[in-house]
Amino acid sequence: MNWIAGAWAVFRKDLQLELRSRYALSTLLLFVLSTTLVVLFAAALGLGRAFVREEERGTVLLLRLHTRPSMVYAGKLLFNVLLIGVLTMVTAAAFGLLLGLPVGAPGLLATVLALGALGLAGATTLLAALIARASTGGGALLTVLLFPLLAPLLVSVVSATQEALAGASFAAAGEELLTLVGFAGVTITASVLLFDYVWEE
Amino acid sequence: MNTPAVPELSEKERPPQVHRRRYRWGRNAVVAWLTAVLLGAFLLDIPRINILEHTARNLYFHVPMWFTMMAAFVVAAYHAGGFLRSGRLARDTRAFEAARVGTLFGLVGLVTGMVWARFTWYRGTGLWWNFDPKQTMAAVQLLIFGAYFVLRSALEGQPEKRGRISGVYLLFAVAVMPFLLYVLPRQMESLHPGAEGNPAFSDITAPIMRVVFYPSVIGFIGLFWVLYTQRVRAAALEMRARLRDSAFRG
Repeated sequence: MNWIAGAWAVFRKDLQLELRSRYALSTLLLFVLSTTLVVLFAAALGLGRAFVREEERGTVLLLRLHTRPSMVYAGKLLFNVLLIGVLTMVTAAAFGLLLGLPVGAPGLLATVLALGALGLAGATTLLAALIARASTGGGALLTVLLFPLLAPLLVSVVSATQEALAGASFAAAGEELLTLVGFAGVTITASVLLFDYVWEE
Repeated sequence: MNTPAVPELSEKERPPQVHRRRYRWGRNAVVAWLTAVLLGAFLLDIPRINILEHTARNLYFHVPMWFTMMAAFVVAAYHAGGFLRSGRLARDTRAFEAARVGTLFGLVGLVTGMVWARFTWYRGTGLWWNFDPKQTMAAVQLLIFGAYFVLRSALEGQPEKRGRISGVYLLFAVAVMPFLLYVLPRQMESLHPGAEGNPAFSDITAPIMRVVFYPSVIGFIGLFWVLYTQRVRAAALEMRARLRDSAFRG
């Protein structure tokens, strides 16, 4: 199986499972109507399921036999990016409508949220895999590991979002954008390098 | 009566042999060096700056703590990576002990910083903590490292798995360390030197302070090395003792 097809298959499998059970999504949507933090908490709840589900159903071995670890990681990452992306859009739209926030720089806001979603998914996917290996249903453990790791992301997203709402240009928010790109880059690179060790028995 | 053969640690668990005499020389050199640093730190004359006064001497202690913590976690990450590649449990022990001693240095750095801030930045307010970005980020970094120990304790009794999973987490944690300790604090307004428009060493820093500061950094990293190697040896001895204990009890 070539790599792209493999990663895509894992992604499609997770998507179909989700559409059938709507576990993560329904949990996530419950949380939609509050602050940026909501995205974070909801993400920890929903994304933590990504690998625990495989362990619970005993499908880990099948995935391990049929795909290479990097395919599994890429597929799961893609699925998580989609999940967080949808969640972020719904949250942002809901906030925009309910609070009547005037957005000064919509393009910048979209970029910031996209980069933030990417960094969030990058860090969460690997940690979810770690937790699934460490114990079944270790929800509390995930939050202990995850929240401090996401602090730099949170700080940058919040300050960049503020600038976007105030209508700053891309150049003015350059530092924050670079930090976000760097964070997403570092977490995803580290995850790709380390995922094999988590995945293989 | 035949006694059972004394069991030895397997190749995977045994730490490499050290040259005893050379090791003692190294340790004594660190002790002598740090003593000289301490004498210099308290006895050498420094210019008095308003408010800062003699607390400026804290530069010799507070800042090297963070340098040492970073060095310790680079060592820990190196051994965590080594364990992932080789599967030698001795490497995992090294990663764990380096992380433990490193966290200790981080905590001392946090406390020395809090005391320093209380009597300079927050003088007259009675505050110990006011969420200065760099302080807060350093505290978050310590939380991340604290989670490493939580993760390890959740995997008690499965050494191979514990080493692999906590090793991956440690490498991940060290990868985000530059963001928390360097990138973000420099983007935010902070009283901390090294933040926006506030260089770490400025014209008003007396040259004499550098003479003590740099040796102090080296000295505390040396102290880390002594504590860390002692912990690693103690851990190996403990493992061996447990092994023999169980063998003799049958």
